[in-house]
Amino acid sequence: MGSMFRSEEVVLVQLFLPTSAAYTCVSQLGELGLVEFRDLNASVSAFQRRFVGDVRRCEELEKTFLFLQEEVRRAGQVLSRPEGRLPAPPPRDLLRIQEETDRLAQELRDVRGNQQSLQVQLQQLRLHAAVLGQGHSPPLAATHADGPSERIPLLQPPGGPHQDLRVNFVAGAVEPSKAAALERLLWRACRGFLIASFRETERQLEDPVTGEPSTWMTFLISYWGEQIGQKIRKITDCFHCHIFPYAEHEEGRLGALQQVLGETERFLSQVLARVQQLLPPWQVQIRKMKAVYLALNQCSVSATHKCLIAEGWCAARDLPTLRQALQDGSSEAGVSAVVHRIPCRDMPPTLIRTNCFTASFQGIVDAYGVGRYQEVNPAPYTIITFPFLFAVMFGDVGHGLLMFLFALAMVLTENRPAVKSAQNEIWQTFFIGRYLLLLMGLFSVYTGFIYNECFSRATAIFSSGWSVAAMATQSDWSDAFLAQHPLLALDPNVSGVFLGPYPFGIDPIWSLAVNHLSFLNSFKMKMSVILGVTHMTFGVVLGVFNHVHFGQWHRLLLETLPELVFLLGLFGYLVFLIVYKWLQDYAARAASAPSILIHFINMFLFSRSPTNQPLFHGQEAVQSALVILALVTVPVLLLGTPLFLHWRHRSRSQRGPAGRQPDEDKSGILDSSDASVAGWGPDEEKAGCPEDGEEAEFVLSEVLMHQAIHTIEFCLGCISNTASYLRLWALSLAHAQLSEVLWAMVMRSGLGLGRKLGVAAVALVPIFAAFAVLTVAILLVMEGLSAFLHALRLHWVEFQNKFYSGTGYKLSPFTFASEED
Amino acid sequence: MLASSAGGDPAHLSIRSSAWHPSLGVPRPAMTAHSFALPVIIFTTFWGLIGIAGPWFVPKGPNRGVIITMLVATAVCCYLFWLITILAQLNPLFGPQLKNETIWYVRFLWE
Repeated sequence: MGSMFRSEEVVLVQLFLPTSAAYTCVSQLGELGLVEFRDLNASVSAFQRRFVGDVRRCEELEKTFLFLQEEVRRAGQVLSRPEGRLPAPPPRDLLRIQEETDRLAQELRDVRGNQQSLQVQLQQLRLHAAVLGQGHSPPLAATHADGPSERIPLLQPPGGPHQDLRVNFVAGAVEPSKAAALERLLWRACRGFLIASFRETERQLEDPVTGEPSTWMTFLISYWGEQIGQKIRKITDCFHCHIFPYAEHEEGRLGALQQVLGETERFLSQVLARVQQLLPPWQVQIRKMKAVYLALNQCSVSATHKCLIAEGWCAARDLPTLRQALQDGSSEAGVSAVVHRIPCRDMPPTLIRTNCFTASFQGIVDAYGVGRYQEVNPAPYTIITFPFLFAVMFGDVGHGLLMFLFALAMVLTENRPAVKSAQNEIWQTFFIGRYLLLLMGLFSVYTGFIYNECFSRATAIFSSGWSVAAMATQSDWSDAFLAQHPLLALDPNVSGVFLGPYPFGIDPIWSLAVNHLSFLNSFKMKMSVILGVTHMTFGVVLGVFNHVHFGQWHRLLLETLPELVFLLGLFGYLVFLIVYKWLQDYAARAASAPSILIHFINMFLFSRSPTNQPLFHGQEAVQSALVILALVTVPVLLLGTPLFLHWRHRSRSQRGPAGRQPDEDKSGILDSSDASVAGWGPDEEKAGCPEDGEEAEFVLSEVLMHQAIHTIEFCLGCISNTASYLRLWALSLAHAQLSEVLWAMVMRSGLGLGRKLGVAAVALVPIFAAFAVLTVAILLVMEGLSAFLHALRLHWVEFQNKFYSGTGYKLSPFTFASEED
Repeated sequence: MLASSAGGDPAHLSIRSSAWHPSLGVPRPAMTAHSFALPVIIFTTFWGLIGIAGPWFVPKGPNRGVIITMLVATAVCCYLFWLITILAQLNPLFGPQLKNETIWYVRFLWE
């Protein structure tokens, strides 16, 4: 059997790594992804571990990397993915990488700072140039040219030798919203001693502080008096105006500044290019290095401090590869690393290797619970039974074909990079399940042919088994008779009417019949029960493999056998009744045909209905025997295993310690799972067993309680789970009805539109569009999700609770692969 | 053509139905009976080949077990499903109830 039947053998290994070669060995192991390290320093906090300094250095480097990445992103460029194999660098390279990174970061910071300050200056200058470029009204200039002697100040200046009647200017720019307030304040504060003129700039200029372009109000204030000048300066400072002195050489300065800025930006892009080239591989390498140090932190130091001891889980099949990798890693150190198996009583992790096809099915099973170590894996059977049960609920050739083609498109283009790297989550969900959808579509086409439904239309591939003509001639259905009776039924008793069962699927005449649901409901309900009982029996049989593998032979006799007798005695008998009735011809006495339901109910009540004919001779005796047998199996199931374990425990402890040795030769996993409560026990195995093994662990009351729960679950579950399989009928009915309603309401009314040539043709285009959209949205997506969910539930609950415990944990090896995405 | 005539005028339809039959002239064969044994043999052999003989031809490789499981499971599921369907129709207790329009055209169409 393939390795999917049960999980692989996983062993606990102990590695002795010489200190000098520890780093390379662990990095080799990380590349291979074989070992899951166990934390031997669990009691030590993260800050006290041996390699915490190195981890911290790596983290600081990562912070710098983040800063560099941010800078690159801000410049609008993208970091490329690193190519090729990049092993973790040796520890001595860390210093070099750190220095270079710091240097690059510092350069980037400096250049950025320079660039920003140059930008600010440039904007200031531009504003200045604009202010100077603004012409203010000539009368003001003419007034100033007249000189102070002609002016009569509106207010007498304060007398004194400091009378400075020289006219001064203040020119600057202010935001337009503040211009009016500025003017008012200037007037109130310096009334009569200044003349201010405000003009708006024509173009929009960038604000030196915020960098946003906006229009500015330039102002020119002429005043006389030093104190007035100071007041004006204070006021303009309050309003955050930009004041510019008048100078002649602004043009030259603007040009020079722009040149310097250009060169700064060139240098910046050079630095960024170097960062882009160096950063991606460094990021990968430092991440690997940090992972290696974190793994090394989990190792304990040997007493002589010469080597590190690591413990981990490894698949038995990979041990030679592991040995080889350690040889390679420690070849330079002279002393080679050693690995050997150690026995362990803990439950090992589960490892099941899958390929891209089986991964999605294993994923479905694991979503419920990862299997316990080496218990039977339901996944290989799920590959077929899950799409099959889905298809039973979804059966339609047309819909199945659409689903199949969609999945086929995804499968055929699965290697294209555009398809693989799509970020949309919903698309990713569908893409991961493409093989699932492929099989679901394929089986749906098959069940669609059997249900004889293609977009709710039946096809007559073979000729129908019902002859209307024979009925009409035999029963004398004249046209007048037909006109008076809108509904007439074909009678299978009349000769020549029923010509035999349709060879493949449901007869097409049923799609024309008014009472088709009566027939289909009976057929689908019985089909659901048959499929359900078969599925559950298969589940119980799979449990046999678990018992045999773990050496629990008593459970075969005390659990599997009673379970099978109970299930098959009651519900297997129901299936037998169904098939038996199908094989009998009751057409002649259809009104008095026996009812299986009444028989089944009476079977449990030990009563009989006089009007219900028996199906076969001795039916009552057989039924009573089966019910009594089933009732007998319940106490066997309830008490068998606990009493046996109790007896065995007592006989062992009576035999004394001398007799214990040979018994403990069985592998530790078997014993622990044995004692832990008939295999359903929770975490005793994971926690590790005490030294004297299972003898001390056995508590009769606990075992009894667990077995009681198991018995009740199984027996009541048999009934409720069988009924639960009726959802196969319910959903297929819903799908068929929805499909038919859509056809009748949309397409048929479209096809029946008017007899004029062309009217229907034109109208059919939007009508078909509506039909297609509703088919995909309601029937494919909604019904598909619904059937998927119910098929999943049937697997997780009804099938798996017969044999699967799902309380394991996955082997998650130390690997760099997951970090490389 | 017959289907589009809605519901009832007997005289109108009797002319049509009587005009239909003799105008064609070719005698139509009665519907043949379906056997039960032949489909059973055919499908049992078919799924038996897939489920029982198929596993012998799967090439050796890491996926041999999975492929064999898939073949057997497919054969069992599909065969069982088909078998249930044909058994359910083997001895019908009641026949289809048809509308008179359906009877009018199926009577002559499916001969």
